[in-house]
Amino acid sequence: MINQTSNRKNKLEELKREFGELDVRDRLETLLEFSDELPDLPESYRARRDAGENRVHECQTPVYIWVEVADGQVEIYADVSRDAPTVRGFISLLANTLCGLAPAEVLAVKPTLLTELGLVEALGMVRMRGLHAILHRIKLKVQRAVGEVG
Amino acid sequence: MSTTSIESELLVSTDWVDEHRNDDNVRIVESDEDLLLYQQGHIREAVKIDWQTDLQDQTIRDYLSKDRFAQLCASKGISNDTTVVFYGDKNNWWACHAFWAFKLFGHDHCWIMDGGRRRWELDGREFVREPEPDYPRGTYAAKDPDLSIRAFRDEVLQHQAAGKSMIDVRSPSEYTGELLHMEDYPQEGALRAGHIPGAANVPWSRAVNDDGTVKSEAELEQIYLNEAGLKREGDTIIVYCRIGERSSHTWFVLKYLLGFDNVKNYDGSWTEWGNLVGVPIEKNV
Repeated sequence: MINQTSNRKNKLEELKREFGELDVRDRLETLLEFSDELPDLPESYRARRDAGENRVHECQTPVYIWVEVADGQVEIYADVSRDAPTVRGFISLLANTLCGLAPAEVLAVKPTLLTELGLVEALGMVRMRGLHAILHRIKLKVQRAVGEVG
Repeated sequence: MSTTSIESELLVSTDWVDEHRNDDNVRIVESDEDLLLYQQGHIREAVKIDWQTDLQDQTIRDYLSKDRFAQLCASKGISNDTTVVFYGDKNNWWACHAFWAFKLFGHDHCWIMDGGRRRWELDGREFVREPEPDYPRGTYAAKDPDLSIRAFRDEVLQHQAAGKSMIDVRSPSEYTGELLHMEDYPQEGALRAGHIPGAANVPWSRAVNDDGTVKSEAELEQIYLNEAGLKREGDTIIVYCRIGERSSHTWFVLKYLLGFDNVKNYDGSWTEWGNLVGVPIEKNV
């Protein structure tokens, strides 16, 4: 388990390094690929989504995120419209790199992540705060899940 | 099917764009809120111009210098005499904002594709996921900015003190001061809520139909002339919102579809006014 989580942690570090080597155009292309690859919301969550549960109100486009902690690992499921590929791509990137981490490791992700990924330069300042809100929301949900368990 | 309801040379239908998108003297420009939408799929011949990363200075809160604007146009294959047709997401907010910025830099021929991405999609027309087309470099001579369409804060303060017309195009709850920011956009708030005293509230969205196209001239006259009491001639009207993008839409409607003489967009908008020390603010809560 310890080895597994440290591998997952490296995934985020690896991603920062990869983004650092890309120019702005390729960073955006990579973000779009993440958007393409966001897995469909599991069947068991769809009825809850349709009931309006877990909607992220910071985002104008409908965004639904479930963050759960099971067996000491964080799981993230999300549903985001394809009309909002930036938000969809960022959530997919987070789900891809944070799933499987221990709660403490997710809580340790710094709010400077967007700068470290070079997304501020690629997307402009005004678009940053909405994405920050998503990271903040995920961390808050992890905190709550841990609190409920403990 | 075209649903263009207003006969205006500045508002063209999706049909028109489909027929003319290959014309040498026409350049189609996509401007979106979501920067990746263009990359995900765009009108085949369209180039991308982003209001934030392309049209704004990245350090100072302002637009590009006129020379950098000229370079941007040249790099997109736009010359001084090119007809530029803008379209985008969110009922053309950003397209209208880019249109306004092009007018600010004195570009002559700017049009809007009625209904934007939504109408193009509803028509079942093609979006391609391809790299941005690379056009031969344009020839662009920079012009001094046309400040007759842009209001700065000191002018707004004088305008307000003189009791002249202003339209706040934000949602009613932002206008009254109940909300500090646009619903679902908490990241773009200000330290104070409310509106500039004397401004009437006419949300920008009243000007558009469900399919993203603009309402008929008679409907627009009812809203802006009869209900809001604005006059086509005479004193300047200032429009504002939160960062100047939604108000670009209303600015376009008043100036180009209803033929108002003098309309200025206050692009500092609420994110400037609501943070200024000592300026008057009105609340209805």
